[in-house]
Amino acid sequence: MNLRSNQTIRCDHCMQEVPASAAVTAVIDGETRNFCCHGCLGAYELIHGESLDAFYQQRCDWQPGRPAFAAVDAREFADDVVSDGSQSRIELLLSGIRCASCVWLVEKVLGRLDGIVSARVNFATHRATVEWRSDAVTLDKILKTLSGIGYLPRPVRQGSQVEAFSAEKRDLLLRFGTAGFFSMQLMLIIAALYAGFFQGIETTYRLAFQLISWALATPVVFYSGWPFISNALRSMRNRALTMDVLVALGSLAAYFYSVAMIFTGGEVFFDTSAMIVTFILLGRFLEAGSRLKAGSALAALADLQPREALLVDAEGQTSLTPLERIGEGAVVEVLPGDRMPLDGVVTGGEADVDESMLTGESAPVTKIDGSKVYAGTCAITGRLRVKVSGDARQTLLASIIRTVEEAQARKAPIQGVADRVAGWFVPAIILLAAATFAWWRLSGAPPVTALMNAVSVLVIACPCALGLATPLAILVGTTAVSRKGILVKGGDIFESISKTTTVVLDKTGTITRGAPTLTDTFDYGASGNFMQRCASLESLSRHPAGRAIAEGWHGETVPVEEFRSIPGMGVSGVIAGEAWISGSRALLEKEEIEIDAECLATAAKLEASGKTTVFVACDRKLAGLFGLIDELRDDAGRMIGALRAQGLRLMILTGDNVGVARYIAGKCGITEVRSGLDPIGKADAIRELKRNGETVLMAGDGINDAPALTEADTGVTFGTATGIAIESAGVTIMNDDLELLGTLLAHSRKCFAVIRQNLAWAFGYNLIAVPLAVGGVLHPIVSALLMATSSLVVVSNSLRLRKI
Amino acid sequence: MASTFFLIALGFVIGLGGWALFLWAVRSGQFDDAEAPKYRMLDDDDEVQNKPKKKGMAEK
Repeated sequence: MNLRSNQTIRCDHCMQEVPASAAVTAVIDGETRNFCCHGCLGAYELIHGESLDAFYQQRCDWQPGRPAFAAVDAREFADDVVSDGSQSRIELLLSGIRCASCVWLVEKVLGRLDGIVSARVNFATHRATVEWRSDAVTLDKILKTLSGIGYLPRPVRQGSQVEAFSAEKRDLLLRFGTAGFFSMQLMLIIAALYAGFFQGIETTYRLAFQLISWALATPVVFYSGWPFISNALRSMRNRALTMDVLVALGSLAAYFYSVAMIFTGGEVFFDTSAMIVTFILLGRFLEAGSRLKAGSALAALADLQPREALLVDAEGQTSLTPLERIGEGAVVEVLPGDRMPLDGVVTGGEADVDESMLTGESAPVTKIDGSKVYAGTCAITGRLRVKVSGDARQTLLASIIRTVEEAQARKAPIQGVADRVAGWFVPAIILLAAATFAWWRLSGAPPVTALMNAVSVLVIACPCALGLATPLAILVGTTAVSRKGILVKGGDIFESISKTTTVVLDKTGTITRGAPTLTDTFDYGASGNFMQRCASLESLSRHPAGRAIAEGWHGETVPVEEFRSIPGMGVSGVIAGEAWISGSRALLEKEEIEIDAECLATAAKLEASGKTTVFVACDRKLAGLFGLIDELRDDAGRMIGALRAQGLRLMILTGDNVGVARYIAGKCGITEVRSGLDPIGKADAIRELKRNGETVLMAGDGINDAPALTEADTGVTFGTATGIAIESAGVTIMNDDLELLGTLLAHSRKCFAVIRQNLAWAFGYNLIAVPLAVGGVLHPIVSALLMATSSLVVVSNSLRLRKI
Repeated sequence: MASTFFLIALGFVIGLGGWALFLWAVRSGQFDDAEAPKYRMLDDDDEVQNKPKKKGMAEK
């Protein structure tokens, strides 16, 4: 590989040209190799020593030098610089931060620059905060340094959702921390008052402690509890009573009642007023934290999308172009180490692409001519030319982001129950408290007793279980499954999963590998170039069976005109003036093409052994027959076992023939199989199940069963299906692991069992406790303790869902 | 009597100190990034100069 020209040598490892005099030479296995430096020599020896020399053949069109990066324009960042004359500070977004080492590298490299005061990188948000002395170093130099080591700086876009979430979380943390501190102090004092209540206490002490506790409770109720109070006021103005009204009312009632008691010499319940606020704030804080996490995950996804691409023009020249100006049909070039700018099809080059952000699969996928690539995935080796299939809004990445955004706005129906109940529960409790007061007054009790009983009612009616437990349980549940790479679109979907009675599985690609291999070919001699014609026609098909047939031909393909794809049935087109049709028997019957007995007998034999048959006709005459086999996936058996153990009814739908369906069903032990269905037929089958009162979950790969996925109560797609599949399915399982389906079903059921327990607890508790409070049996102190216990029960019950 | 109140006041003042520390921590962004510190502690400081070479290392 060493090209000697003008006294320069190419380095055998990195292909950079070096002067022959400066080259490092080494004799390896009897051959002289040249290197530009000891680093490359070391790398070569390492690769050679591990017998990985194939690397040097595989990097077909690799170019020496650094990966090309877009030039960074310092003017874009000018608005973000905060300067006080001598020192400047900027916060910027770094793309390419993958791990803690990246953080270390950026901080160290910047720290070495003259004039840098400090450089910190936030690992979670990928933001770098750099301070520098304005007279010693320029912003331009900092940006160039960053892009030079491979981390492209970008301006922080203000006003994003994540910003709002983290501001909210910080605010809640402050309020909760303050509430926690004052409540702790307060509980100490109140403990003394409790002891005094049961054992007697001097009045001076009692008054002093009451005054102290008043002082301590005030910031909790009015600062920490301010969100509840303001929300309550707002909802009262809108004539809708929410949980916040009950929280605020209970807390304020206890507070003002206690203040009145200080002056009339009764018992105080500042602890109640403060603890209600503290507990509910804790719930809100946890919720805000997970919302922020979800938001950051979204932002990280959005960051994967490059904002410019190397557009290839008609002369084959590349130029860096903003994505907005690149549309369908354009050709872009992707260099090693770059991310795909848009979805598309490879038209030239070969590369290993890391698709882990979409599939969770860490092993890179080799992309060749005709492979689909997705925006945001990263080319590791080799350069690609990609024909763009749609603009930035149509990418798979964009549809995932849209899905996740939607998911955050959706509520489970069961939560609607809780909200509806809250709608009448709150006013009912308020009325009940008023009625309690009136009734006690009328029956001749002193105002203090009447008021105390009324407050007891307000305090003991625990809204937490209703207002907090359900959303918290759903949140914890969906977060737990998302850690496994299961994307659930929303709480409502999660609820319908938990009600599933029948699981319908699409055969191809879901329980089988989805990549059949060609095993038998019968050519009936209708045309001279049977195999070539079939392969040319099928090479345009997106169906796996078509791909398998296309792969069975290693020669040249010929152009196809008038290509049509009939979903779930086959393809047709015109080749060299002959009308070719290739597809299922149903397709040929629809086209009224006669199939002779001999061919039917052969097909039946193939089908009996579990093979899929593809019939081919040329100019309306039967031309040939293919047999393909698609084996069961290794994890299908385990998944089916897990689902059956959960007592679910299982059914397989397939577009294939009866024989194949029977063969596969026999292999995995599912008795209910419907075969020979087109996409509409699959949807019909599901509709029929639903008519019989079943709640149906359909799992498919989404390529040709989008109607069925939409028809089912829940649609689940696996792996990187198409954008359409993600939009039509309620759940996308990113890791291609069938067993996760069982995990998802089990966990959703557990989640809703927990919610039902919570609601049952809440209702049961209120049914028993409220009448007791009305009857004046319970002292408000006891009510407050009961209320706190009840809240703790439902919250900790919801947190059980963290473990899958 | 007096001692009780003195101790309560003392406890409260100490608590206030903790609260002030907490406020400062939140405001100065100590809670903003809970991920990086656990990795940062594993980072080496600037590489140690002139490490003695291990025996048996090939000299190139």
